[in-house]
Amino acid sequence: MPPKNRQSERRPTRPVTITAVVDPVAALASENLDDNLYLYDTNRAAGSTGFGTPALHSRVRKGDTLLWNVIPLECETYVALTDIEIDPRIAEPTRKVYPGTDIAFWTAEVKQDLTEPVPYRLSFLLGTVSTPFTPTARPALAGPAAEGKEGR
Amino acid sequence: MKDRISIVVMVDAVGALSDRTLHNGNLSLVDDSSAGSKHQGTPDLVTAVVPGQVVQWTPIHVDVQTPVEIQAIEFLSGAPVPLPADQAAPPAPVEPSAVPAPGAVPWTGVDATDSNGHENLDLLVWEGVVPYDMTPGVPYRYRLSLKLHEGPNSVLHIDSPALLRV
Amino acid sequence: MAQQHGIIVLFDVENALRTRSLDGNTYWFDNMKFLGSAGVGTENLVTIVPGTYFLDGSQATEQVLNWLPAALGSIPPTVPRNYLAEQERADDRRTLEELAALSGESGVSTTDLKRLQRRIGKHARKPGGGRGLTEAKLLDVTGKTTSSAGAYNYPAPVITDITGPAVTEKIIYPAQYGSPDMIYDGWYWAATVDTSRPGVYPYTVHVQLHELVERNDELIWESVDLACESSLKIISDPKRNGFTGAGLGVLPLPPVPAAG
Repeated sequence: MPPKNRQSERRPTRPVTITAVVDPVAALASENLDDNLYLYDTNRAAGSTGFGTPALHSRVRKGDTLLWNVIPLECETYVALTDIEIDPRIAEPTRKVYPGTDIAFWTAEVKQDLTEPVPYRLSFLLGTVSTPFTPTARPALAGPAAEGKEGR
Repeated sequence: MKDRISIVVMVDAVGALSDRTLHNGNLSLVDDSSAGSKHQGTPDLVTAVVPGQVVQWTPIHVDVQTPVEIQAIEFLSGAPVPLPADQAAPPAPVEPSAVPAPGAVPWTGVDATDSNGHENLDLLVWEGVVPYDMTPGVPYRYRLSLKLHEGPNSVLHIDSPALLRV
Repeated sequence: MAQQHGIIVLFDVENALRTRSLDGNTYWFDNMKFLGSAGVGTENLVTIVPGTYFLDGSQATEQVLNWLPAALGSIPPTVPRNYLAEQERADDRRTLEELAALSGESGVSTTDLKRLQRRIGKHARKPGGGRGLTEAKLLDVTGKTTSSAGAYNYPAPVITDITGPAVTEKIIYPAQYGSPDMIYDGWYWAATVDTSRPGVYPYTVHVQLHELVERNDELIWESVDLACESSLKIISDPKRNGFTGAGLGVLPLPPVPAAG
């Protein structure tokens, strides 16, 4: 008898993860984070759009847990997500670290269903520069019915 | 005496890009001359050379995945126009050397465009023969310009290293 | 000197497992966009490999490629790979300490025991005889123990082979190496490149994903083998002297050196 995949039967309890892939050396040399920031999330099947751009629109629902983390393109170069600014009526991201490390991630719970996209602002620390870098383009959280069904 | 002298240019690219300077310990110059070089391991390296030797500069990055290339090596001239005092011993330069070094030997820049249409400084070999008319005992300082990745902040330089004929 | 090329492949593991395909579920990166790599951050990366040769025709700069797989929505690869094992152990130590503390008291309450049982979490086994991960406790994507099959952290995909025209035409020589690197520790795939024959060469990366399934009331890791494609664009250009633009010459020294 083939094994049964239990995932499809339960509502997943994994958070919606939003991952920022950053090329820190290119961003430092060019002073342009927009061209060197690639955002992805785990909700493409639910209709998230803008994959691989700094203007990712993540499809979320009230009650979803969100998790933001970072993957640097040069693994030896320091990149950290230092701040997430979003309307606190929608979500209040808090910074956490993977237990036993100083590597940070941010989590938040979506407080209400969204009727239109809510842009937010991400800030990163790169290398040893003390001033955070913020992309000009804004990612956003979007509700299930806010936009038509779109591909990437 | 050796036929060849190798000058290794070692760069902490992320440190240099973050600090926007090759100082602060972000650059280290080392050579293998046996004729009495000074200030090994610093940006003020004075490499002892003799005429006829080939000197070669090689960039090395501390972080293996970060590109570091030599953009230019320009020897600084004391003639015909003497340098103003404030430029003779410049402070830690933070500006990209988009303009040629003051008083440098005229240098047009070698084309480093690759067959894909991109500038690829890895194509350049930085080596030359020490001329016989070099004055002994006098340091010939040079501007070493490095390119770390690409963009307005990518080119940094120092004016402190020198060759010295012994 | 040319840097090593890191090629990072980010896998949407959840979608890949659901659709049993990597189509649309990989995002590729390298650090050569400034030298002409195309499609960085998409499924259609073409990695530029800028080869150089000396005037006598010999290959000058050796180009090295490294492949680094990562799972989207998992603990990121900056967290050391032995992290999962370390977290498990730390968790077990705490549980043992609490058990010791409990037995010293007058009685053991059911609530305390239940709490500890939750802490112990669930273990997943590998299927008998099959390839898979070693038996391990389940951690969620924040590094905490979990007992939910819907919350576990997807293990990083494992590259099992690299094949295709780039390999059969002897453009790259891929092999798996051990790494002392503190971050991408363990095994990784790397290749040196023969840059003497310019052209675009596709290649296929074979990966193994891991999925938890329930069988006979046990959670079991099952491996799922999938493949995805990318390509290399090889170019080759002659080295030239930085001072002369051609061959070796005399250093361009000024008649009078600058003072100082």
